[in-house]
Amino acid sequence: MTKYINDESNNRRSFLKTAMLGTAAVGAGVVLPSLPVSENIGVANAASDGKAKMAFIQWQPHTVPNAWSKGIEEVLTAQQSFDYQLLDGQNKVEVQVSLMETLINDGAKVIFLQPIDSVALAPSIASAKRRGISVITLNIDATEEHAAHVEMNHYFGAMDIARVMGEKMGGKGEVAILNAPPGIIIRDQRTNGFVEGMAKYHPDIKIVADVNAEWSRKKAQDVLSTVLASNPNLTGVYGVNDSMALGAVDVAKQKGVLDKMTIFGNDGEKDALESIEKGELSGTQYTDVYQQGRFAASVAAVLASGGISARDFQSQGKLLMPYTIATADNVGEIQSAQRW
Amino acid sequence: MPNKLFKHIPNAGLIFFFVLLTSFFCLFANNFSTSMNAENILAGYSFIAIIALGQMFPITARGIDLSTGSIVALAGMVIYDCMLIFELSGWVSIGLGILAATLAGALNGILIVRFNLQPFVATLATLAGYRGLVYAISGRQLYPELATTPLRDPAVKALNEFYDIGSWTGLDQFFQTPWIPVSFFVLLGVMIALFVLLTLSPYGTALKATGGNYEAARLAGLPVRTITISAYAMSGLLAGIGAVLLVSRLTTSTESLGIGMELTAIAAAVIGGTRLQGGKGNVLGPVLGAFLLGIILVGLTLMGISQFVQQMLTGGILLAAVGYDSFRTRKQA
Repeated sequence: MTKYINDESNNRRSFLKTAMLGTAAVGAGVVLPSLPVSENIGVANAASDGKAKMAFIQWQPHTVPNAWSKGIEEVLTAQQSFDYQLLDGQNKVEVQVSLMETLINDGAKVIFLQPIDSVALAPSIASAKRRGISVITLNIDATEEHAAHVEMNHYFGAMDIARVMGEKMGGKGEVAILNAPPGIIIRDQRTNGFVEGMAKYHPDIKIVADVNAEWSRKKAQDVLSTVLASNPNLTGVYGVNDSMALGAVDVAKQKGVLDKMTIFGNDGEKDALESIEKGELSGTQYTDVYQQGRFAASVAAVLASGGISARDFQSQGKLLMPYTIATADNVGEIQSAQRW
Repeated sequence: MPNKLFKHIPNAGLIFFFVLLTSFFCLFANNFSTSMNAENILAGYSFIAIIALGQMFPITARGIDLSTGSIVALAGMVIYDCMLIFELSGWVSIGLGILAATLAGALNGILIVRFNLQPFVATLATLAGYRGLVYAISGRQLYPELATTPLRDPAVKALNEFYDIGSWTGLDQFFQTPWIPVSFFVLLGVMIALFVLLTLSPYGTALKATGGNYEAARLAGLPVRTITISAYAMSGLLAGIGAVLLVSRLTTSTESLGIGMELTAIAAAVIGGTRLQGGKGNVLGPVLGAFLLGIILVGLTLMGISQFVQQMLTGGILLAAVGYDSFRTRKQA
């Protein structure tokens, strides 16, 4: 009998505890929309205030998508007729697909997308297109045709990096590439552009190593130390992003060989520009990423206000971003408001 | 008495919370209570529910499988290679993918039993090992021109179909019914099979006994080593089935498929009342846990809640669920 009473009492307590947990979470949901922690207070009322919804599904929070989002938000806010939301793909294709479907269901006018995979997002892009929703991809294209693709000039920019880097190396020497993991289109564009640029402008420069440093500064430090041990005559390093190039700068400084090394990155993030100003990093391809977000948002605003459906496009639109090869000679021209 | 009734319903607290949260989103999130949203959640989380059911087995055996995400990728890449490189038929490729996943799971079990490794350590090692294997066998790397080729086999299409059950049953005369994805039917099939296995066959009792008290189970004459291996093989098998559904949904597989999915599956299993100390778990809990994570993501997104607050709320709910689990265990100790 006592056991029964205890069990019953335990059950009641368990139930109450769960109910409290539920109420707490629901309560948080009720309270949060009115707090400044909500990025977009107006979305829940999108239908009632007559504003069209737009959202950006990023890969995962990072400097580049953050800067894109800032640029997008700037333009869309000025229009006074759009609600904008930044969403986190959590580095998972299945989450990106789920968010795409949620936005389609919610009647979004335009979806900005940084796809994790070009094929995996194709079915949901097709689904958006069937409902007339324009998808604008940023940097990474998708295999399914959509409204527009706005990308950094990966291939031609990398060719230009090879040209300028080769000039700084005097047209001769040995270069290592600190690369990204395989499987992403921009890796190939940034690598192929560089390799073909070297072959075209500086055929005497040899590319002696092409190693995976996983986009990371720390990993680049480890990898380059190994590369230097087996290639003591190395005089140039190209990191396919700035983080890896800055990792190379760390190693060169530590080994006291920075003076004889020419190190180039790609992207043009703030840290890289500061490193160039300090005379450490030799150069990088700089793109104004805020501007890239603004361009994408401009396209979106025109499409949405002009009543253009995704089905109206004869073929996919494409926009390549202007860029600068930033070196010590011109880095000062990049204003602080343009640095990200 | 309601409390008496409550006692006999498994996961009653979780069901209550699930209904409460769903009702809240129906009231306060735009377009949450639409049939299309129901379709999205069913299609987007059925495969995660299956993987979470797989995770329930090692946890019930007082272990854990951290390699689930990598096994999903392995099964996905085997299917991809078989279809696009070896041009095998869709169903054969799918069978081979599931077989590879089951073997990978069994290998986890063998490492744990044969070399007496901690499940955390063994599956952490295979998390990296299987991911490396995925890169090594990746058809996307071996034949770069295939990287942008979607899988168009009829089997893949069949598994990504939706069925208009509302029209068949006449329910759509009363309200707009969602079309049900094949993946949800697969989930129901898996749930029934696992219910039979865990509740109506001696295996379920033996698994719970092994997880509840390994030494006592061994002394009672249970083949505890075989049971442990089988728990990890089941985790692999169900990760393989989940991978098939995911690959059908994406029409491709990638080297990074399933990264972090082990944590989602563990979270769903634990929210669903699978006790981390082993010995307890049922087929309804992890499924509810997986769909709960789904409705939280979708509901908060539709409400326009910031991505960072979403993560905090999800973390908070997980913490509360684990805390509740620990509270319940202490209470019973």
